[in-house]
Amino acid sequence: MSDLAIKTVNLTKRYSGLWSKHPVEAVKNLNLEVYRGEIFGFLGPNGAGKTTTIKILLGIIYPTEGEAYVLGQPAGDPKNHYKISYLPENPYFYDYMTGREILTFYAKLFGITEPERSKRVDELLDRVGLSRAADQPLRTYSKGMLQRIGLAQCLINDPELLILDEPTAGLDPIAHIDIRDLILELRNQGKTLFISSHQLSDVERVCDRVAILNKGMLVRLGKIEELLAGGYVEIIADKVTNNVLEPIRQLGGKASLHDGRLIVEQPDDGSVDRVIDIVRAAGGHIVSVKPYRRTLEDLFVETIQGGKSV
Amino acid sequence: MNATLAIAGATFGEAVRKRILIVILLIALLIILISPAFGPFAGGRGARTLIISFGFGVIQLAGTFIAIIMCTGLIPTEIERRTIYTILSKPVQRYQFVLGKFFGAVGTLGFMYLMMGIVFLIATRLALGEFDGRIIPGLLMFFFQSSLLAAVVIFFSTFVSPLVNYFLSGGVFLLGNLLSSFLETIQRNPEVTPITRIPVQLLTIILPNFANFNVQNPIINPEQVITDPVAYTVQTIAYAIVYIVMLLVLSMLIFNQREM
Repeated sequence: MSDLAIKTVNLTKRYSGLWSKHPVEAVKNLNLEVYRGEIFGFLGPNGAGKTTTIKILLGIIYPTEGEAYVLGQPAGDPKNHYKISYLPENPYFYDYMTGREILTFYAKLFGITEPERSKRVDELLDRVGLSRAADQPLRTYSKGMLQRIGLAQCLINDPELLILDEPTAGLDPIAHIDIRDLILELRNQGKTLFISSHQLSDVERVCDRVAILNKGMLVRLGKIEELLAGGYVEIIADKVTNNVLEPIRQLGGKASLHDGRLIVEQPDDGSVDRVIDIVRAAGGHIVSVKPYRRTLEDLFVETIQGGKSV
Repeated sequence: MNATLAIAGATFGEAVRKRILIVILLIALLIILISPAFGPFAGGRGARTLIISFGFGVIQLAGTFIAIIMCTGLIPTEIERRTIYTILSKPVQRYQFVLGKFFGAVGTLGFMYLMMGIVFLIATRLALGEFDGRIIPGLLMFFFQSSLLAAVVIFFSTFVSPLVNYFLSGGVFLLGNLLSSFLETIQRNPEVTPITRIPVQLLTIILPNFANFNVQNPIINPEQVITDPVAYTVQTIAYAIVYIVMLLVLSMLIFNQREM
């Protein structure tokens, strides 16, 4: 069994209109490997090619060039779909059905028969906290409830790989936390989660690795802690004289002094104590020492504005 | 098969709740119910012919509207709402999706015809004092006519937008009703050149002949004499089934290549 849940090799998707001479490249030479058992964040601005890639992985559209494999099989093989599941962004379900009926419908698509079907539907309704609303039509559900039912339909087949497109978009804080906890619980069960999201704080909190796409190209890929390395500590001090600036700059810090107030952005590499010693030795008074961690948002903005590919 | 039936069930459930279809059905039921009131206008034996013909006309019209309005949106709406992504990401083949949609549509048509048929039978029984033997075979023929039309609409819906589909399917239905008699007329006329005749002949071969299903209507076909009505009905239904199978196969082939 391959240790890769998803693999793409030079994956390219071009759209060409009937009358257009210039095809649009939605995905360009994408090479991606997602390992089994990890939570993988798939990021990028709107139009970056995320949904196009997901559609190729699901066999909803076909690649123009390159290859895509899901759980070791060519993408789109319906037999493989017994082991995967998908939650689209803003999903719509037949709203005349109740929560129980829609899960029963999806269970039937997998050929799950009674009594196993009812048992699994009840378990899932309980798991996503919708047991009390199970017999209400979906048209009466809130956005958060619909998202929960969407996740429940994803779990109906006990999948190995879940592909989630914006699973926490538009949710209230409580629903947000619930869905995030459920995602972590699924990872603990050994499932692979491939999450496309603009909720960068969520991605930073739950994902093991991320890939950032821009204009169809892969521009960043790596472990979260590696990508976010390079935080700094901000040191503010008063009653500081000019002669401290040079020694601080020699330690790699960015220092500025105005009217006796010193502001230093010092790399978080063990030199912070030495900067404080320098300031105190010069008669300065430390006002605050505040660590700043680089966030995924910083990385995302920097990557997209930088725009280079890996 | 499970997946096809599940999709058919969901399609049926959604279609029978569509307000526009319910309104068409209710208007049709109301007109069918009051149709015996038009009988006296014809007088004598003509009253029976008028009642039966009027009822059939309403049922056929309602069936046509229901088939076109229901089926134009069946596949495009699923794509637009992204429901199709949650279905095709399950172990469902695309052909199963198309089949499920078609069976759901036929189920809905069957339900609507059943409603209209029951009301028509009751209304004519009350007005004429007996059941007319033409009603059940006539309903069966119109049901298959609408099912064939549903297959035409689903076929077009795999590659054109709903608006274009309304015109295409409506045009095919209209031509399919008129072409065979038009062809007979021009074949009898020696002045018609092959340039006119051949395209009409070709179209008559390609397009489904919807006129075959209208024979039970005594006003549309006053001189129609069917020597063996059972054989004719069976043949016409078999014709519809063959045509439906061909259209569904084409729909599946196109839909299989379609990107959504």
